Order: sequence, then structure tokens, then C-alpha cells
Amino acid sequence: MSPFFFYLFAAILILASLAVILARNPLYSVLSLVVVIFSLASLFMLLEAFFVGMVLLLVYAGAVLVFFLFVVMCLNLNAQAFTSVQQSRFRWLGGLIGLTFLLELFWVVKGLGETQVMAASSVRGTIEVIGKILFTDYLLPFELTSFLLLIAVFGIVALAKGSLKIVGDVEEVQQRRENP
Amino acid sequence: MIGLTHYLLLSGILFSIGTVGITTSRSVLKILLSLEILLAASNLSFVAFSRFNGDYAGQLIVFFVILVAAAEVAIGLAIIVLMYRRLATIQADELKDLKW
Repeated sequence: MSPFFFYLFAAILILASLAVILARNPLYSVLSLVVVIFSLASLFMLLEAFFVGMVLLLVYAGAVLVFFLFVVMCLNLNAQAFTSVQQSRFRWLGGLIGLTFLLELFWVVKGLGETQVMAASSVRGTIEVIGKILFTDYLLPFELTSFLLLIAVFGIVALAKGSLKIVGDVEEVQQRRENP
Repeated sequence: MIGLTHYLLLSGILFSIGTVGITTSRSVLKILLSLEILLAASNLSFVAFSRFNGDYAGQLIVFFVILVAAAEVAIGLAIIVLMYRRLATIQADELKDLKW
């Protein structure tokens, strides 16, 4: 547990997340988010949360961000559509909110006093331990999660088929309501 | 020596970066990406608390957060694609059907 690795991955994490919000090209934003997820998984490994770190890599970097990339390339947005994005009217307000948040954070941390060091009796989040807890104490949330994913699949299919009329056709909806 | 405060500070910095991203960007895609940064920040503090307090509950919550985020991203991207088909843009300002 060397402090060097913590500072290395923390620096990569902060720089990459800044790149996510500052990049003009959405492709670079998504690729920077991949770097964010990788360094986050490295920090999880430093915290000995092995299983969660691997799930983060597999699900996030492997599936979610590839899906992001797929959509970005599928939409085929021109660069002009994203240069105008940068000039938001309320940009200064967002910066102010972030700065306030950061200052508040430093103020809170300063009041904390002595930092808690890592406990000697280590909590090692291996697959065995996490799996045991997941299938005993957290069985109901786990099953509910599978139900949530099923509902998400239904929602995506409904959206993709275009069977949902999102805007317009008010008369049609009214007619259907009157004579079902 | 790296303590709990270091991880919480890092998580807070990450969270404020995500907040700035959400409030300043007008592209819906970038707002979704900034949302992912917020989730990453909260995941980091969950795992840090789990490690320093000797409780596995934090890691399990992170597991569930990852699953819920996957569902959220799938639905969100489907909505973005539909929005692009309807409006031919993904600027959040163009969604003004509910504006009065």
C-alpha cells in the first residue's frame, strides 16, 4: 500500500475527468471516461475491493462505455454541433456551484482533524466473501436488480420500436381512450 | 500514509468536477457522461468507507450502483437516439416542448 500509487491514480483520475467535461469532441469525452473508470478500478484494487473493481472494469469499461461509443459514432455528429455546446450562457453559474462545493468540502475536511488510518484487520473484497454476502443477506436486492434489468430491456425495446408516440397525435390518443 | 480523508477528498473533487460538467454542458450526451463521473465519485467514497470501517456493505452497494447505472445508461442513450431522430440535435436547450 504505497502512497505513490494512490497519488498516481488520483492524479490520472482528476485529469481524465477534467478531460471528460472539457473535451470538444464527444468521442474524446467517452475515451477519457474509460481512463477515469480504469484509474477508479485501480483505486478499488488499492482498497482491496477486488471483486467490485473487476465488475467495474467489465461492466463499465467493457459494456457501458462501448455502448456510449457506439451511440456517438451512430449519431455521426459533426464537430460544429459540439463547438457551440461550449458556449453555455450559464457557464459561470456552473463554475460557481462547483467552486462552492469544493470550498465547502475543504472546509469540512479541515474540521475532521486526524485522518483515520487503514485498519489492521483488512477487509478483502474477494469473490468468495462478496458472493457469500450477496446470496445470503442481500438476496432480495440482488433478485430485484435482475427484475430492474428486465424492465430496462422492455423499455429499450419499446423505445426502439417506436411504438410509443412521444409527441403529437393528441387526437389519436383521445380517440383510443373514448372507444377502446 | 494514505487515510480515509484522502479518499474522501478525491471523491469530493471528482463530484464537483461532475457537477460543473452537468451544469455547464448543453449536450445531453455530455450531461450523461458527467452523471457517470458523479456515480464514480460516490462509488469511491462507498468503497473507502467499506475498507476503513471493516464492513462489506459498502462494496455491495457499489455493486448495485453499477447495475442500476448500466440500466440508466441504456435507457438514457435510447432516449438520446430518439431525440436525435426527432430534433436532429442533442442540445438540451432544444427540448422546449414543455416550455410555457
